[in-house]
Order: sequence, then C-alpha cells, then structure tokens
Amino acid sequence: MTAVNAMLVIIVLSLLAYALLAGADFGGGFWDLVAGWSGKKERDPEGQRGLIAASLGPVWEANHVWLIFVIVSVFSAFPTAFGTIATSLELPLGLALVGIVLRGAAYVYRAYGDGAALPDRWWGRIFAGASVLTPFMFGVSGAALATGSLGPHSMPTEPFRSAFALTAGVLAVAVTAFLAAVYLCHNAAQSPAIAHLVPVFRRKAMVAAVASGAAALAMLPSLYRDAPIVAARFTDRSIPFAAVSAAFGVASLLVLWRERYVVARITAALAVATVLGGWAAAQYPDLLVSGGAVDAYSAVQSAAAPQSVNAMLIAMCLGMAVVLPSFYLLLKIFSRPAVDEH
Amino acid sequence: MSGLVVARVETALSLSFHIMFAVFGVGLPWLLLYAERRWLKTGDPAWQALTRKWARVMAVLFAIGAVSGTVLSFEFGLLWPTFMSTYGGAIGLLFTLEAFAFFTEAIFMGLYLYGWKRLSRRAHWLVLWPIAVSGTLSTLFVVMANAWMNHPVGLGVSHGKITADPWAVFSSSTSWTEVTHMFVAALMCTGGAVAAVYAIGMLRGRRDEYHRKGLNLGMAAILALAPIQLLIGDFAARDVATTQPAKLAAMEGHYYTSGHVPLTVGGFYDSQTHQLVGGVPIPDGLSLLLDFKPGAVVPGLDQTPANQQPMTAVVHLAFDTMVGLGTAILLIAAWGAWRWWRGRRRGIVPRIAHTRRWLWAAAFCGPAAMLAMLAGWEVTEGGRQPWIVYQHMLVADAATKSTGLGWALLATVLIYLGLAVALILILRRLASGAPPELAEAGPEIGPEIGPDVEPTPALEVTR
Repeated sequence: MTAVNAMLVIIVLSLLAYALLAGADFGGGFWDLVAGWSGKKERDPEGQRGLIAASLGPVWEANHVWLIFVIVSVFSAFPTAFGTIATSLELPLGLALVGIVLRGAAYVYRAYGDGAALPDRWWGRIFAGASVLTPFMFGVSGAALATGSLGPHSMPTEPFRSAFALTAGVLAVAVTAFLAAVYLCHNAAQSPAIAHLVPVFRRKAMVAAVASGAAALAMLPSLYRDAPIVAARFTDRSIPFAAVSAAFGVASLLVLWRERYVVARITAALAVATVLGGWAAAQYPDLLVSGGAVDAYSAVQSAAAPQSVNAMLIAMCLGMAVVLPSFYLLLKIFSRPAVDEH
Repeated sequence: MSGLVVARVETALSLSFHIMFAVFGVGLPWLLLYAERRWLKTGDPAWQALTRKWARVMAVLFAIGAVSGTVLSFEFGLLWPTFMSTYGGAIGLLFTLEAFAFFTEAIFMGLYLYGWKRLSRRAHWLVLWPIAVSGTLSTLFVVMANAWMNHPVGLGVSHGKITADPWAVFSSSTSWTEVTHMFVAALMCTGGAVAAVYAIGMLRGRRDEYHRKGLNLGMAAILALAPIQLLIGDFAARDVATTQPAKLAAMEGHYYTSGHVPLTVGGFYDSQTHQLVGGVPIPDGLSLLLDFKPGAVVPGLDQTPANQQPMTAVVHLAFDTMVGLGTAILLIAAWGAWRWWRGRRRGIVPRIAHTRRWLWAAAFCGPAAMLAMLAGWEVTEGGRQPWIVYQHMLVADAATKSTGLGWALLATVLIYLGLAVALILILRRLASGAPPELAEAGPEIGPEIGPDVEPTPALEVTR
C-alpha cells in the first residue's frame, strides 16, 4: 500500500471512530431533546436526561478529539483538497462548528454552572438542539463531497441544493440517535435504580433503526440522480457493503427484541461502519469529486510532499501507541462499577 | 470591511478567546499536582477543598478550551485556504502531534474529573501527570507551528510542489525560545489568576486557611517564574533580532539603521516622523542588549520596504505593555523575596504576612499576567505582518475570497460574547469561598495583621 492510501485508511478509520463514539454522544443529545414529548410520565424524561448526561460525562471530550484528528490529517496529508473542501463547504461546516461549540459549552455549563448563568433547563435545550444540528451538517457535508457540484467558486448554499445531501443529513441524525439508544440500553441495565429506562431506550433504538434504514433507502434514488460519478462506483464496489449493513441493521432489531444489549452494540456499530465503508469505497480515490477537471482533488493529486506524508505516518504510529491503550483504559474504568468515594 | 479584514479580525478574536482558556488547561494540572499531593500527604481539608474546587474549574475551562480550539482547526481551512493548501504539509506534522497530545489530555481528563469514585487516591493523583505533560506538549507543538510561520525552516521546491522538512522545526532556535516563553507565560497566567481570586476573597474578609493556601500557591508559581521569564524573553528578543529584524525594529519603534541605538521605555510611535514620542531613552541600551557593545549597529525598519512593514505603533505599544507588566510582576517578586528573607531572619511565621498591600499586589498579578500574555501574542503576530509565513506568503494572498464572512464574524462575536458572559457568571459562582466547615477564619499564625502594618517579630518560632 502506498503512503497516500495508508493515510486515507487512517482518515476513514478515524472518521469511523468519530461516528461510532462521538456520534452516539450527539445522539444522546437528540434523545435529550425529544425526552418527554410523548407526555407519558412513566417514561421518566428527567431520568432519561440524567442517564444521558452521566453516560457522556467522562468520554465526550476524548470522543470529540477524533474529529480534530480527521481535520488535521486531511489538511496535513491532502492540503490542496482541504483548501477547496473548506471553502466550498463553509456554510455547513460553519454551522456544524456552531453546534460543536454550543453543545460542549452547554454541557459543562449545565454540569458545573449550578444555574449561575442560565437555568440548567435552558442549557439542556441548547445542548440538545446543538447535538442535532452538528450531525445533520456533517451528513450534508459528507454527501456534498460526492455530488460533483462543489468547487473553489461554488455558492455557499450549493451543498444544500441536492436532495441527496439533505437526506444524508437526516440519515446522520437518525444513525446517531440509533447508536445512542442502543448504547444507553446497556447503560440503563447496569443499575437497578434506572432499570425502568431499559424498555424506553429499547423502543427508541428500534424506532431509530427503522428510521435509519428508511433514510438510507431514500438516499439511493437521489444518489444516482445527484452524484452520478460516485453512484457508478457505488454500483461497482459498494453493493456488498450495503448488503452487509442492511443485514446488521435487521440483526440489530432482532437482538434488541431479544434484549441482548451487548450484542446489539456490536451489530449496531457494524451496521454503521459498513455504511461509512460503502461511502468511502465509492468516493475513492477522490476526496472531493470536482465539477471541473476530473480527479483534480483525488488523493494522489492533492497529497502533500512524500516526506510530509511519511513523517505523518511515523507520528501516527507513535501517537496511536500512546492513545489507544489510554483510550481503552478510559472505557474500561468507566464500564466497571464505582467504588466508595474517598 | 473587506474580506481580508474580516478574516483577520475573526482569527484574532478566536485565538484570543481560545488562549485565555487554554492557558488554564496547561497551568492548572501542574498546580493540582502540588495541591492534591499535599492533600494526600497531610490529609489537610483545606488542600482537599482546593483540589476539588480547581478540578471543577478545570473541567469548565478545559471544555471551553477544547471547543474553541476546534473552531481554530476549522478556521485554518475556512479563512486561510491558500495558506493551508500551500503549507499544510509543512506544519501538518506538528498539528498531528498536537492532536495526539490533546487526545491524551482529554482521555486522562475524563478519568480525573469523573474518576473520584473509581480510582484509588494515589491513582487519581497519578492521572494528573499525563494531563500535565500532554497539556505542556500541546503548547509545545502548537507554538512551534506558530514559530515556523515566524521563521519558516526546511522549505524547498521539487516538481513544482512546495516541500518541507517537517522535522526541521524541532531544531530551530525560534521554536524553543517561543515555546518556553509561552509555556512559562501559561503557568504565570494560571498562578496569577489563582492568586488574584483568593486575594480578592481575602480582601473581602474571607481570611481562612483555604484562601491563604490558595493565595500562597498561586503567588509562588507566578513570582518564582517571573525572573525566569525575563531571561527567556531576553533570549527570544535576541532570536527575533537575527531571524526577524523587522519585527524587532517594530517592537522597539526603531526606524533608522544606526549604531549606539537607545532603548526607549514607553512612548508612542509616530508613523509620519518615524520617531518615538514621549518615551524615556536609555542611551545605547538596545545595542548593548542585543550585542553587548554600545556601538553595535541595529537594523531599523528602513531596511524593509514600506509595504512590508508591520504596524509599528501597535507592535511597539503591545511590546511595552508586555514588558511593563512583566517588570511590575518582577518587582512584586523582588518585594516578596525581600519580605520572605526578612521574615525568615526574624523567625516570623508566616514568612510573608497577608497585609492588604500584599493582597492588592496579588490581585494585580492575575489580570497583569493575562494582559501581558495577550500583548505578547500581538507582538508576535502583529510584528510578522504583512506576512502569514515570514517572507514566503502574504496574509492578503492566504485569505479566503468568500464574501459571506461578515455573517460568520457576527455570529462568532455573539456566540463567544454569550459564552464568555455565562462563563464569568459560572466562575463567580464557583469562587464562592471555602466549604462552610472551613470558612470560619482561623487565627493566622502570628500576630494580628492590621492594614498595611508589617508584623513585629514578637512571636519567635523555635526551629
């Protein structure tokens, strides 16, 4: 494998980690937003919000760093593509940033603010709204890269002009909600005090699974209409990914029905991973499918000088050797029960 | 406003906002290492309360630092696409390493903040080490990227593409002077802010053990580092003189190349006459500082074409602000050292009594350190203008051509303003004093302290 392809693999894997980990944190925000909408008191909306906040606390910042990682990798390894991607996606990426800033700030302000600035409930609303905004904008951005209508001089609103990109935004929100609900089923089952939330999140997980599947299906016709180049590659390369994803989606529904929540985490993650894999395979080798010259922003064309890419790869290996064990430690410690406070 | 001006204002705003919180992500873990260690060793409830309080403050500030840092990483591409597409490969390694450092910091921050019940006391303290070290490394990598923009090293061209030796920046002297200067500044800002918070609390009558310990630790951090910062600053200025002569000339408001250059303290630069108005010149001062010879020739701004000169009036003012505030902190350090030495000789405990004058000095240190740090960044960034990569790429050529930036700037101003106001309110609530059981003012060891009265050595302490 060439160094350039190795970088692409690293970027896709980082994106996957971001989708599976931070995606679930955003999905938690979605469920925070809709908690209590049914008006049924026995579903304990405040209990739901408490569980969501407690699940996010220790991990959301570490999960968020995967995004920084993707950004930094793209601008370091593929600088010319990054320049155009950032310019042409300035509106959705800018709005995603607004969501990221408000989500993080509102979360800590609610957790530590003690109502000093705004009532906790308001910060909760901001946290929840921002958590929906961000994945939607990332979904739009990712799909817009495939359409071929972006370029250095395209309009700021161009990414929003295809049904394909808008559906992808909805899919992203549905998928984050699906992941969050599946993860929260297991979290709720850990403590008898909140065990009554398990069926609540189980139901949410199944609804979100169906919604994700529906959104994915709805994307297919618009993919062929709005993104012909990537659609052709999708037919060639990505059908197996799509089939596997659909299979894991159905499997998730089955194991949720049978109340096997650890297995459900795995099947859900695989269903999402294969969607992302299918997109990456169809997008390859273009980072941005440009409307003008063919493959102007392909990986090879836009790659930095070889010595820069090689240095990046060395740094990646060293860095991952530190970060991955630490990350494992974090997840492990917060998955075991707490000891008495000292 | 033109697109270029908007992009510059937006970047300046985002950077200043970020850095005011990022310094605490760097500094607080080091202070916590000391405070929590004292708690572990002595079991003193005051140290426990300080540790708990600082952990909460660190949680909020780290989160704001993290999200505002994300804004910056996006802005590289959104505002400076040409810079990134040309030189992204050159600074990419540093940002990759920074991402790893930040990653490590975020992971262990999660363990620290939420691990009180899940980790043993000792493990909880140990977790601070990776936080402190990776926070420091983050500073190192990010500031090095900035140092590379000031003094780009390792650049070449092959097959029409710009190549850069990504490792060259590690052996550049500019990197190390800038990095150490900023790291010490971050510690000083943290120490100063901590000292100021407790000093203000004590001025309002909260004279308990909790406040005394917090004040002393903050003051120890900022005052002990003040002389070191002076030395590093001197090295940094010398490096700027060799690598970026125009920036040094702007810092000193020095236009006409000559020997026997005075060092002018204060004064405003008149861009019409190229003279400093109202400053106090020290004869041969600059020549002596840079070359240790009174007659040494110092290149002035006249060596740089007019369209490549920085805004000297601003840079000089920012430089004098930084040096002036640094000197004031240094004088407080000297005063503190003298009081400590006298207290020790006379056997007074505490060595430095918390007189009102001392508390006012401590309250001054917090804002002074922060303002000096921001002024220092204005010197670095303003002094490099009009270049984004010194002598390689102009800021004007690097900026985005997008026209919708005014809205982005407006949104940023509003959001950051709202978040900052909320943050100040929350920090004020957090600074609500010691927990109730520690809050009654225990008698300070030593005599009663009246306003501005030095303690008499009445109470001898046997050693």
